[in-house]
Amino acid sequence: MALDRFTGENSIAFIRSEQLFDYARSNSLWYLAFGSACCAIEGLMHASGPRFDFDRMGVFFRASPRQADVMIVAGTVNLKLAETVRTLYDQMPEPKWVIAMGACANTGGPFREYPNVVLGADKIVPVDVYVPGCPPRPESIQYAFLELQKKIRKRTEERLAARRGSGK
Amino acid sequence: MQPDVAAVNRALAGLQAAIDVVEAPIGVVLRCAQKDASAVLKHLRDGELDCCMLIDLFGLDTGEKVEITYHLRSLSRDEDMYVRCGVDYDGNMHSVWNIYPSALLPEREAAEMFGLTLSGHPNPKRLLTTDGVPPLLRKAVPVRSAEEVRSG
Amino acid sequence: MIDPHFTVSEDGLMTPEGTFSPGSPPAGIRRVPKGVDSLGTEHLIVNMGPQHPSTHGVLRLIVELDGEEVVAVEVSIGFLHRGIEKLAESRRFDQLATLMDRGDYVSAIHGEQAAALAVEKLMGIEIPTKAAWIRTLTAELNRLASHIVWFGTFGLDTGAMGQFLYAMRDREALLDILEEISGQRMMFNYVRPGGVLADLPAGIDRKILAFCDTFEVYLEEHHALLGCNEIFQSRVKNIGIVTKETALAFGLTGANLRATGIAFDVRRDRPYDAYPALEFDIPVGTVGDAWDRYMVRMEEMRQSVRMVRQLVAGMPEGEHMAKVPKVLRPPAGEVYASVESSRGETGIHLFTDGGATPYRYRYRGASFFTCQLFEEVLPGHLFADACMLLGSFDIMLGEVDR
Repeated sequence: MALDRFTGENSIAFIRSEQLFDYARSNSLWYLAFGSACCAIEGLMHASGPRFDFDRMGVFFRASPRQADVMIVAGTVNLKLAETVRTLYDQMPEPKWVIAMGACANTGGPFREYPNVVLGADKIVPVDVYVPGCPPRPESIQYAFLELQKKIRKRTEERLAARRGSGK
Repeated sequence: MQPDVAAVNRALAGLQAAIDVVEAPIGVVLRCAQKDASAVLKHLRDGELDCCMLIDLFGLDTGEKVEITYHLRSLSRDEDMYVRCGVDYDGNMHSVWNIYPSALLPEREAAEMFGLTLSGHPNPKRLLTTDGVPPLLRKAVPVRSAEEVRSG
Repeated sequence: MIDPHFTVSEDGLMTPEGTFSPGSPPAGIRRVPKGVDSLGTEHLIVNMGPQHPSTHGVLRLIVELDGEEVVAVEVSIGFLHRGIEKLAESRRFDQLATLMDRGDYVSAIHGEQAAALAVEKLMGIEIPTKAAWIRTLTAELNRLASHIVWFGTFGLDTGAMGQFLYAMRDREALLDILEEISGQRMMFNYVRPGGVLADLPAGIDRKILAFCDTFEVYLEEHHALLGCNEIFQSRVKNIGIVTKETALAFGLTGANLRATGIAFDVRRDRPYDAYPALEFDIPVGTVGDAWDRYMVRMEEMRQSVRMVRQLVAGMPEGEHMAKVPKVLRPPAGEVYASVESSRGETGIHLFTDGGATPYRYRYRGASFFTCQLFEEVLPGHLFADACMLLGSFDIMLGEVDR
């Protein structure tokens, strides 16, 4: 029994390597510095600023998509930008996540009636977390990162459960 | 702040173009043909009216044609004036960039947004939209309807 | 300069004189294009794409480089084209503020002010003095906020990362004040035709004066840390010189124009709102380089603080909004109204047909005319200077693409 506690499922001494990796990933989500519109000022600049510090969550911006885990689509996506967004998403290495920040990236926002605007970033890239607001406060985008962390950890458990279920 | 109509007429005397000088609530508006716009603007820049800056250049869809407006400013005389030309739908607009280089991008935008062709310009490509997008500022091109937004 | 020890054949191939002369070049070597120097280097075309930490927004520059030197630049915009002008044709006149907020999003009050002034001019509405003073107060606070963003990102462009965080600290304090006045940190939606949405909250004057006191000290600190830094000065002085003729020819306005030596400021020369009652100086540069633009904006921040103090001290009593109908229907006509925004002259050319929505809404964004100057000013500089110059001109892509 005691040995089970030591080496079993919710072990206090051992951890599965995937759990460790996902724990590490969720605590160092580096986002791509790609601010397209107004949300970039709030969500990327102010959220990394001194008041709403992003760095304490391990979140930091990277200039190159090859070094980023998360892409925050902060701003309106229009037909001309859609190609760029998709290219950047494809350049990011796995595992990668996308946060759609603001009304424009969710569903087109205040500019949804204009034919040049794409109705949401999820038409271009698969989105993991949607953050409402125009613009969302920096605390909202930090909450989005917390939700993303929960999602990453939940995926780990789902993957493990699936493997356990199929293994036996 | 608004130039005197008589002074404008005097300054434009000698030009071979048909120019209509009107005093509107917004200020003095000169109407001429688009092919004469270059000559008129050159005269306004170099003559006594000393219009040193082109503040803005934009189009307007009146329903029958496209009207291009050149908003000029003279800093030495502290005056603003407008030159207005009509261009037919799908017509041609001749560039005035060699007189006022600040017309470079606005002309491309006006030609793209109203479906005109641009001649005499060093880079007459589309500016703001990708290929295949219709001239969006024309009245005939609608914005999305509520159903399109909901389902799209 | 072609090296005299090489001969250049008609089709551009260079062969060395003397005993050794190769026959046909190896298959992998292309013909040498024009514009090549004696080293046989080609010009490289580099994409400074819409995703770049240094372009302030989604600006794409296609840069032709000769080694490190920029030979030609093509500006490609439109990545943020959201149709403010077209959508304005289906918005009521008091809803135009929501669209203008998202144009030049860092100095949103100025955009809203321009739209409100256009409608008021057309309808002949006189706004109450208190409303004018409140609008001017929020406009100057917004100018401070915008110049702080410029300062922080300009430091980032030259490599000074610490200044950015100090600038954000000051901007947070300003946004607290603006949030208390208008309810929002960025998209204020506060200035309406006829006045402002709501009166100033009680006690805000003490907060604003406390902010001014601390900010004056911090501003000198910012200048001491960044502007008095020898490395920054050598990166910025005599780079990106814009002459008066170039500035006028390209339609430059605002601090960029004043840095070249032309003292035109819409607040003084075409005054609106409470500016006739205020005392302020217009800083003007001499050379027109990036250093002058930096100094002009720093001085503008000091003048803004001076104006904010005057506005708080002399705030009159009165209404915050004139008696305007619920649905504004200006008479058919056209009007041009402009304000001095933090980037230059933001002008609205409004055409109405007597209905409840505009017929044509032309948004003259100051940055639109500034960004076409890049093709003229950037060539001849090093690539690193090009990044710095983008920051020194202070463009905002929301205004450029609209």
